[in-house]
Amino acid sequence: MDENQSPEVIAEHPEEFDPRKRVGRITRNFFLHIHAPRVHPHSLRPDYTFGLGVMLGFLFLVMLFTGIVLMIYYTPSVEMAYQSVKDIIYMVPGGRIIRNMHRWASQGMVIVVFLHMIRVFYTGSYLGSRSLNWVIGVVMLMVTLMSNFSGYLLPWDQLAYWAVTIGSNIAASSRELTDLLGITSLFDPGGFLKTLLIGGETVGQPALSRFFALHVIFLPVTMLVLMGVHFWRIRKDGGLSRPLQTVQGKGNTSKWYAWPVLMWTELALLIGVVLVILLIAMVADAPLLERANPAYPENPAKAPWYFLGIQELVSYSAFTGGMVVPVLYLIFLFSIPYQDHEEQYVGQWFSGAKGRRVVFISAAVALVVVVLQLVVEVTIGGLRDWIPGVSQWFVMLLNPAMVTSAIFILGSLWVKRRTRSTRISAMVLFTASLVALIVFTMVGIFFRGPNWEFYWSASQWPVI
Amino acid sequence: MVRRHFIRRIAIALASITGGAVAAGYLRQYFPRIAGEKRRISLGDPNFYPVDTYTFLEDHNLFVYRDHEGFRAVSAVCTHLGCILEKSSDGFECPCHGSCYNPSGEVTSGPAPRDLSWFRVGRAPDGGLFVDPGQTTQPGEKFLTS
Repeated sequence: MDENQSPEVIAEHPEEFDPRKRVGRITRNFFLHIHAPRVHPHSLRPDYTFGLGVMLGFLFLVMLFTGIVLMIYYTPSVEMAYQSVKDIIYMVPGGRIIRNMHRWASQGMVIVVFLHMIRVFYTGSYLGSRSLNWVIGVVMLMVTLMSNFSGYLLPWDQLAYWAVTIGSNIAASSRELTDLLGITSLFDPGGFLKTLLIGGETVGQPALSRFFALHVIFLPVTMLVLMGVHFWRIRKDGGLSRPLQTVQGKGNTSKWYAWPVLMWTELALLIGVVLVILLIAMVADAPLLERANPAYPENPAKAPWYFLGIQELVSYSAFTGGMVVPVLYLIFLFSIPYQDHEEQYVGQWFSGAKGRRVVFISAAVALVVVVLQLVVEVTIGGLRDWIPGVSQWFVMLLNPAMVTSAIFILGSLWVKRRTRSTRISAMVLFTASLVALIVFTMVGIFFRGPNWEFYWSASQWPVI
Repeated sequence: MVRRHFIRRIAIALASITGGAVAAGYLRQYFPRIAGEKRRISLGDPNFYPVDTYTFLEDHNLFVYRDHEGFRAVSAVCTHLGCILEKSSDGFECPCHGSCYNPSGEVTSGPAPRDLSWFRVGRAPDGGLFVDPGQTTQPGEKFLTS
């Protein structure tokens, strides 16, 4: 790039190419010095990072700025919330666009945060000293999802009310286990969590106030702090991950100055992100259903699309599908960098050709495992339909959510023993659970209708 | 043990105890003293309720069933994740995740972990009926009015 400018050009504009000046642009600026003054060319390859992390930062900025406008006009009270959202749409100049941008940027964040995690995982960018930053990243994934969850109670429409009713009861679902053991009156972690979340037995004003506080102050501030740490760790870990051969033996001479190369790239990305969100916001309206009615759930009562995978799992069992399996998944994500230390694979997509094959095979096997169980579940029903009056223990333990998890965990342990590679076995489990998440989510989005029954298409739903 | 280490240990212990107490006290703020919502629900004049019919009480999420002998009241809240049940031809059905209950409120299919609760119905001094959500009864138990 312009590192290789001809001597004549450099001689004409000596001040533009003065290294001290270029370094100073970054280091003398509080906001820019999250970047190193010089970056390795590999970090700027669009086919390596896809700019996903930076994109997330920009989407978060869009959330902040649109969120402030919404917060000014929104009233967090059960009586007035719904009307104030209507006011934002119809009375505030450009309010409809701002609300749409807030909604679509939030969904964009959910998609991009998963893509970013997938990129970081398959390039082995959690290896070595980057393990801590992976863990921080998983926490940021949770904060993103919690921000979304807390955000959709606020309009106080039917979706809001029933999604949070279901969500808060998932929080209380360990009662399924404590009830079976008969110890709920002595030890009730589910009730503790539920009261902490919604401040009562049912969703009402206390829940709205709590979610408002979470959504507009607690979670955004947490996110900002974590973003700071996340970016700081990238610099401490020596910049973005890259293959070992690009790290060894080469000093700063082969690096590019962040100013101007990186800065202009990022500015272009910022403009691109805002433009895309703005365009989507102009053509697609964020949904707003009827005002919340605590006596009549929607039928089907569907959560936003990115939670429909979990909703499919809770339709087998609230506790194991809604708590045990998601918690297992989080434990797996957190533990990846502490199980796998094969640092030689850092910065390589799928750790090479063999890894690529492993990823394809485990994706195919996972697809078969999940789809087969769904076929059984849909055609002959759950355990209760085979054996009426079966104990709740079996309903909790023998369902597609638990069986899938068990098969995947045992499968990855078997692969670990056979290949003696922690990286390969981590890729097996990560790929399989990703496929399962996608399949369950697809089923929830496209194939579930009234009473959560299976339909090939929404056009077959009965009229109720 | 060196005196300095001893003092350091005491200091850390005291700081931990104080920190723990502050954290517990702070967390306590998130759990208000709420009176139970289990107050008696007035049903009013028994003649208001049609015979052999489940009447849904919107504000209390209850079904009141009246037959020619008397009254029964059953919770309309799904024991799975708290959605409101619909009366179906053979019991109750949950629109959220498809749990089904028979007319006695027992789970017949779906993910619901418990049977529905039936509540005591009684007569208030003014002659009207009430339901007491604080007191559960057996599914077959009726408040006899005839």
